[in-house]
Amino acid sequence: MGFSVSGSAAIVFAGMFIAFGMFHTATTNGFERVSEAQEDRTDRTLAQQNTAIDVTSATWNTTSRTLTVTVNNTGAEPLAVSDVDLLANNSYQSGYNTSVDGDRDTDLWLSQEQLTITVTAINDNPGRVKVVSGTGVADTATTTEVI
Amino acid sequence: MAGVSASHLIIFIASMMVAASVVGVFTDSVGQLSDAISEQGVDVSSDVRSDIEIISDSGSDAIYNADGNENITLHVKNTGTLQLPARADRLDIFVDGAYQTDAEVTLVGGAEVWGAGDVVRVDISEPLDPGDHRVKIVVNGDEEVFEFRT
Repeated sequence: MGFSVSGSAAIVFAGMFIAFGMFHTATTNGFERVSEAQEDRTDRTLAQQNTAIDVTSATWNTTSRTLTVTVNNTGAEPLAVSDVDLLANNSYQSGYNTSVDGDRDTDLWLSQEQLTITVTAINDNPGRVKVVSGTGVADTATTTEVI
Repeated sequence: MAGVSASHLIIFIASMMVAASVVGVFTDSVGQLSDAISEQGVDVSSDVRSDIEIISDSGSDAIYNADGNENITLHVKNTGTLQLPARADRLDIFVDGAYQTDAEVTLVGGAEVWGAGDVVRVDISEPLDPGDHRVKIVVNGDEEVFEFRT
Protein backbone atom coordinates (compact mmCIF):
# COMPACT_ATOMS: atom_id res chain seq x y z
CA MET A 1 0.00 0.00 0.00
CA GLY A 2 2.85 2.36 0.91
CA PHE A 3 4.54 1.78 -2.44
CA SER A 4 1.31 2.62 -4.31
CA VAL A 5 0.92 5.96 -2.53
CA SER A 6 4.59 6.86 -2.87
CA GLY A 7 4.71 5.85 -6.52
CA SER A 8 1.54 7.76 -7.43
CA ALA A 9 2.74 10.83 -5.54
CA ALA A 10 6.07 10.66 -7.37
CA ILE A 11 4.34 10.51 -10.76
CA VAL A 12 1.98 13.39 -9.87
CA PHE A 13 4.87 15.54 -8.59
CA ALA A 14 6.94 14.81 -11.71
CA GLY A 15 3.94 15.74 -13.90
CA MET A 16 3.35 18.96 -12.01
CA PHE A 17 7.04 19.81 -12.31
CA ILE A 18 6.92 19.33 -16.11
CA ALA A 19 3.66 21.31 -16.38
CA PHE A 20 5.10 24.17 -14.34
CA GLY A 21 8.15 24.21 -16.63
CA MET A 22 5.94 24.50 -19.73
CA PHE A 23 3.77 27.20 -18.17
CA HIS A 24 6.75 29.19 -16.91
CA THR A 25 8.47 29.13 -20.32
CA ALA A 26 5.31 30.30 -22.10
CA THR A 27 4.53 33.13 -19.67
CA THR A 28 8.14 34.34 -19.55
CA ASN A 29 8.43 34.44 -23.37
CA GLY A 30 5.08 36.23 -23.69
CA PHE A 31 5.98 38.74 -21.00
CA GLU A 32 9.37 39.47 -22.57
CA ARG A 33 7.81 39.93 -26.02
CA VAL A 34 5.21 42.38 -24.72
CA SER A 35 7.79 44.23 -22.57
CA GLU A 36 10.08 44.71 -25.59
CA ALA A 37 7.16 46.00 -27.67
CA GLN A 38 6.19 48.44 -24.91
CA GLU A 39 9.79 49.70 -24.60
CA ASP A 40 9.79 50.15 -28.36
CA ARG A 41 6.57 52.18 -28.17
CA THR A 42 8.00 54.32 -25.35
CA ASP A 43 11.05 55.09 -27.50
CA ARG A 44 8.79 55.98 -30.44
CA THR A 45 6.66 58.27 -28.28
CA LEU A 46 9.78 59.98 -26.91
CA ALA A 47 11.10 60.53 -30.45
CA GLN A 48 7.70 61.91 -31.46
CA GLN A 49 7.64 64.29 -28.49
CA ASN A 50 11.15 65.53 -29.35
CA THR A 51 10.24 66.15 -32.99
CA ALA A 52 9.19 69.57 -34.23
CA ILE A 53 9.34 70.89 -37.78
CA ASP A 54 8.45 74.28 -39.20
CA VAL A 55 7.74 75.01 -42.86
CA THR A 56 9.39 78.40 -43.28
CA SER A 57 8.49 78.89 -46.94
CA ALA A 58 6.69 77.21 -49.81
CA THR A 59 7.14 78.98 -53.10
CA TRP A 60 5.81 78.20 -56.55
CA ASN A 61 7.95 79.55 -59.35
CA THR A 62 5.57 80.26 -62.23
CA THR A 63 8.43 80.57 -64.73
CA SER A 64 10.32 77.35 -64.01
CA ARG A 65 7.22 75.55 -62.67
CA THR A 66 9.13 74.49 -59.59
CA LEU A 67 7.86 74.07 -56.06
CA THR A 68 10.43 74.82 -53.38
CA VAL A 69 9.70 74.04 -49.76
CA THR A 70 12.05 74.91 -46.92
CA VAL A 71 11.55 73.24 -43.57
CA ASN A 72 13.46 73.73 -40.33
CA ASN A 73 14.06 70.95 -37.84
CA THR A 74 13.13 72.90 -34.70
CA GLY A 75 13.03 69.87 -32.41
CA ALA A 76 15.77 67.89 -30.70
CA GLU A 77 15.34 64.66 -32.65
CA PRO A 78 17.63 63.85 -35.60
CA LEU A 79 15.38 63.02 -38.58
CA ALA A 80 15.94 61.06 -41.78
CA VAL A 81 15.41 62.84 -45.09
CA SER A 82 14.29 59.57 -46.71
CA ASP A 83 11.47 59.26 -44.17
CA VAL A 84 10.08 62.72 -44.98
CA ASP A 85 6.85 62.81 -47.00
CA LEU A 86 5.57 65.73 -49.02
CA LEU A 87 1.96 66.25 -50.00
CA ALA A 88 1.11 68.98 -52.49
CA ASN A 89 -2.63 69.64 -52.18
CA ASN A 90 -3.09 66.07 -50.90
CA SER A 91 -1.10 64.63 -53.81
CA TYR A 92 1.80 62.46 -52.63
CA GLN A 93 5.11 63.56 -54.14
CA SER A 94 8.16 61.41 -54.80
CA GLY A 95 11.32 61.68 -56.84
CA TYR A 96 12.07 65.24 -55.72
CA ASN A 97 15.47 66.73 -54.89
CA THR A 98 16.44 67.45 -51.31
CA SER A 99 19.28 69.22 -49.59
CA VAL A 100 20.08 69.82 -45.95
CA ASP A 101 21.89 73.12 -45.41
CA GLY A 102 23.18 72.82 -49.00
CA ASP A 103 24.27 69.17 -48.72
CA ARG A 104 22.41 67.15 -51.38
CA ASP A 105 23.81 63.72 -50.42
CA THR A 106 23.05 63.49 -46.73
CA ASP A 107 20.11 61.56 -45.32
CA LEU A 108 20.49 63.13 -41.88
CA TRP A 109 18.40 66.16 -41.03
CA LEU A 110 19.70 67.26 -37.67
CA SER A 111 18.34 69.70 -35.14
CA GLN A 112 18.30 73.36 -36.28
CA GLU A 113 19.18 72.39 -39.86
CA GLN A 114 17.10 73.44 -42.85
CA LEU A 115 15.75 70.97 -45.39
CA THR A 116 15.03 72.26 -48.87
CA ILE A 117 12.74 70.21 -51.11
CA THR A 118 12.57 71.02 -54.81
CA VAL A 119 9.74 69.47 -56.83
CA THR A 120 9.66 69.78 -60.60
CA ALA A 121 6.98 67.19 -61.38
CA ILE A 122 4.01 69.50 -60.79
CA ASN A 123 2.40 71.55 -63.55
CA ASP A 124 0.26 73.96 -61.53
CA ASN A 125 0.54 75.79 -58.25
CA PRO A 126 -0.75 73.28 -55.66
CA GLY A 127 -1.82 76.06 -53.30
CA ARG A 128 -0.84 74.24 -50.14
CA VAL A 129 1.77 71.76 -48.99
CA LYS A 130 2.17 69.43 -46.05
CA VAL A 131 5.50 68.07 -44.86
CA VAL A 132 5.46 64.95 -42.69
CA SER A 133 8.50 63.76 -40.74
CA GLY A 134 9.31 60.10 -40.12
CA THR A 135 7.79 60.22 -36.64
CA GLY A 136 4.50 61.51 -38.07
CA VAL A 137 4.90 65.10 -36.86
CA ALA A 138 3.80 67.40 -39.68
CA ASP A 139 3.44 71.04 -40.69
CA THR A 140 1.45 72.70 -43.44
CA ALA A 141 1.81 75.92 -45.40
CA THR A 142 0.21 77.71 -48.29
CA THR A 143 2.34 78.42 -51.32
CA THR A 144 3.33 81.86 -52.52
CA GLU A 145 3.92 82.53 -56.19
CA VAL A 146 7.15 84.00 -57.49
CA ILE A 147 8.16 84.78 -61.03
CA MET B 1 0.55 -14.77 1.46
CA ALA B 2 0.77 -15.11 -2.30
CA GLY B 3 -2.80 -13.78 -2.55
CA VAL B 4 -1.93 -10.68 -0.54
CA SER B 5 1.12 -9.96 -2.71
CA ALA B 6 -0.93 -10.36 -5.89
CA SER B 7 -3.64 -8.00 -4.64
CA HIS B 8 -0.95 -5.47 -3.56
CA LEU B 9 0.58 -5.68 -7.04
CA ILE B 10 -2.79 -5.09 -8.68
CA ILE B 11 -3.50 -2.08 -6.44
CA PHE B 12 0.01 -0.74 -7.13
CA ILE B 13 -0.42 -1.04 -10.91
CA ALA B 14 -3.90 0.47 -10.76
CA SER B 15 -2.72 3.44 -8.67
CA MET B 16 0.18 4.02 -11.09
CA MET B 17 -2.24 4.02 -14.01
CA VAL B 18 -4.63 6.43 -12.30
CA ALA B 19 -1.76 8.75 -11.36
CA ALA B 20 -0.37 8.63 -14.91
CA SER B 21 -3.82 9.42 -16.35
CA VAL B 22 -4.29 12.37 -13.99
CA VAL B 23 -0.83 13.70 -14.83
CA GLY B 24 -1.44 13.20 -18.57
CA VAL B 25 -4.66 15.21 -18.51
CA PHE B 26 -3.09 17.87 -16.28
CA THR B 27 0.04 18.38 -18.43
CA ASP B 28 -2.06 18.38 -21.61
CA SER B 29 -4.32 21.12 -20.22
CA VAL B 30 -1.34 23.17 -19.03
CA GLY B 31 0.29 22.70 -22.45
CA GLN B 32 -2.76 24.08 -24.22
CA LEU B 33 -2.93 26.98 -21.76
CA SER B 34 0.78 27.70 -22.35
CA ASP B 35 0.26 27.75 -26.13
CA ALA B 36 -2.66 30.15 -25.74
CA ILE B 37 -0.61 32.47 -23.49
CA SER B 38 2.27 32.34 -25.97
CA GLU B 39 -0.02 33.25 -28.90
CA GLN B 40 -1.58 36.06 -26.89
CA GLY B 41 1.91 37.41 -26.19
CA VAL B 42 2.63 37.49 -29.94
CA ASP B 43 -0.73 39.21 -30.65
CA VAL B 44 -0.31 41.85 -27.94
CA SER B 45 3.28 42.49 -29.05
CA SER B 46 2.25 43.03 -32.69
CA ASP B 47 -0.64 45.29 -31.59
CA VAL B 48 1.75 47.44 -29.54
CA ARG B 49 4.26 47.65 -32.39
CA SER B 50 1.59 48.68 -34.91
CA ASP B 51 1.07 52.40 -35.32
CA ILE B 52 -0.34 54.39 -38.24
CA GLU B 53 -0.91 58.06 -38.91
CA ILE B 54 -3.27 59.58 -41.49
CA ILE B 55 -1.02 62.22 -43.00
CA SER B 56 -3.43 63.69 -45.53
CA ASP B 57 -3.85 67.45 -45.50
CA SER B 58 -7.29 67.93 -43.97
CA GLY B 59 -7.44 71.54 -45.19
CA SER B 60 -6.97 70.51 -48.81
CA ASP B 61 -9.95 70.51 -51.15
CA ALA B 62 -8.57 67.40 -52.88
CA ILE B 63 -9.51 64.93 -50.12
CA TYR B 64 -12.90 64.32 -51.70
CA ASN B 65 -13.23 64.31 -55.46
CA ALA B 66 -16.71 65.80 -55.72
CA ASP B 67 -16.53 66.54 -59.45
CA GLY B 68 -15.03 63.24 -60.56
CA ASN B 69 -15.27 59.71 -59.15
CA GLU B 70 -16.73 60.87 -55.82
CA ASN B 71 -14.01 59.10 -53.90
CA ILE B 72 -12.06 59.97 -50.76
CA THR B 73 -8.27 59.90 -51.05
CA LEU B 74 -6.25 59.49 -47.87
CA HIS B 75 -2.56 58.87 -47.27
CA VAL B 76 -1.65 56.64 -44.34
CA LYS B 77 1.88 56.38 -42.97
CA ASN B 78 3.19 53.42 -41.02
CA THR B 79 4.75 55.11 -37.97
CA GLY B 80 5.19 51.87 -36.02
CA THR B 81 7.94 49.27 -36.28
CA LEU B 82 5.92 46.39 -37.70
CA GLN B 83 5.34 45.71 -41.39
CA LEU B 84 1.63 46.04 -42.07
CA PRO B 85 -0.51 44.40 -44.77
CA ALA B 86 -1.16 46.88 -47.59
CA ARG B 87 -4.46 45.28 -48.53
CA ALA B 88 -7.95 46.73 -48.33
CA ASP B 89 -9.34 43.56 -46.78
CA ARG B 90 -6.91 43.84 -43.85
CA LEU B 91 -7.94 47.43 -43.08
CA ASP B 92 -11.21 48.33 -41.39
CA ILE B 93 -12.49 51.58 -42.86
CA PHE B 94 -15.47 53.56 -41.60
CA VAL B 95 -16.84 56.71 -43.25
CA ASP B 96 -19.23 58.63 -40.96
CA GLY B 97 -19.65 55.42 -38.96
CA ALA B 98 -20.51 53.22 -41.96
CA TYR B 99 -18.21 50.27 -42.69
CA GLN B 100 -16.67 50.47 -46.16
CA THR B 101 -15.86 47.56 -48.42
CA ASP B 102 -15.24 49.44 -51.66
CA ALA B 103 -11.73 50.70 -50.97
CA GLU B 104 -8.41 50.38 -52.71
CA VAL B 105 -4.98 50.48 -51.06
CA THR B 106 -1.91 51.42 -53.12
CA LEU B 107 1.70 51.72 -52.00
CA VAL B 108 3.22 55.07 -52.94
CA GLY B 109 6.76 56.42 -53.08
CA GLY B 110 8.25 53.29 -54.66
CA ALA B 111 7.82 51.08 -51.57
CA GLU B 112 7.27 47.36 -52.20
CA VAL B 113 5.85 46.56 -48.76
CA TRP B 114 4.15 48.74 -46.16
CA GLY B 115 7.11 48.83 -43.82
CA ALA B 116 8.02 51.34 -41.13
CA GLY B 117 7.96 54.89 -42.54
CA ASP B 118 6.20 53.88 -45.79
CA VAL B 119 2.97 55.43 -47.03
CA VAL B 120 -0.10 53.94 -48.69
CA ARG B 121 -2.85 55.76 -50.56
CA VAL B 122 -6.36 54.67 -49.61
CA ASP B 123 -9.08 55.42 -52.17
CA ILE B 124 -12.58 55.00 -50.78
CA SER B 125 -15.56 55.10 -53.14
CA GLU B 126 -18.29 56.78 -51.16
CA PRO B 127 -20.54 59.66 -52.32
CA LEU B 128 -20.67 62.38 -49.66
CA ASP B 129 -22.97 65.34 -49.08
CA PRO B 130 -21.44 68.78 -48.49
CA GLY B 131 -20.49 69.17 -44.83
CA ASP B 132 -18.24 67.73 -42.13
CA HIS B 133 -17.17 64.11 -42.37
CA ARG B 134 -14.92 61.68 -40.52
CA VAL B 135 -13.05 58.60 -41.63
CA LYS B 136 -11.77 55.97 -39.22
CA ILE B 137 -9.11 53.44 -40.20
CA VAL B 138 -8.24 50.45 -38.01
CA VAL B 139 -5.16 48.27 -38.55
CA ASN B 140 -3.95 45.66 -36.05
CA GLY B 141 -6.00 47.31 -33.30
CA ASP B 142 -4.57 50.78 -33.96
CA GLU B 143 -7.30 53.32 -34.74
CA GLU B 144 -6.89 56.65 -36.47
CA VAL B 145 -9.61 59.21 -37.15
CA PHE B 146 -9.44 61.84 -39.89
CA GLU B 147 -11.92 64.70 -40.13
CA PHE B 148 -12.45 66.87 -43.17
CA ARG B 149 -14.98 69.10 -44.91
CA THR B 150 -16.47 68.70 -48.36
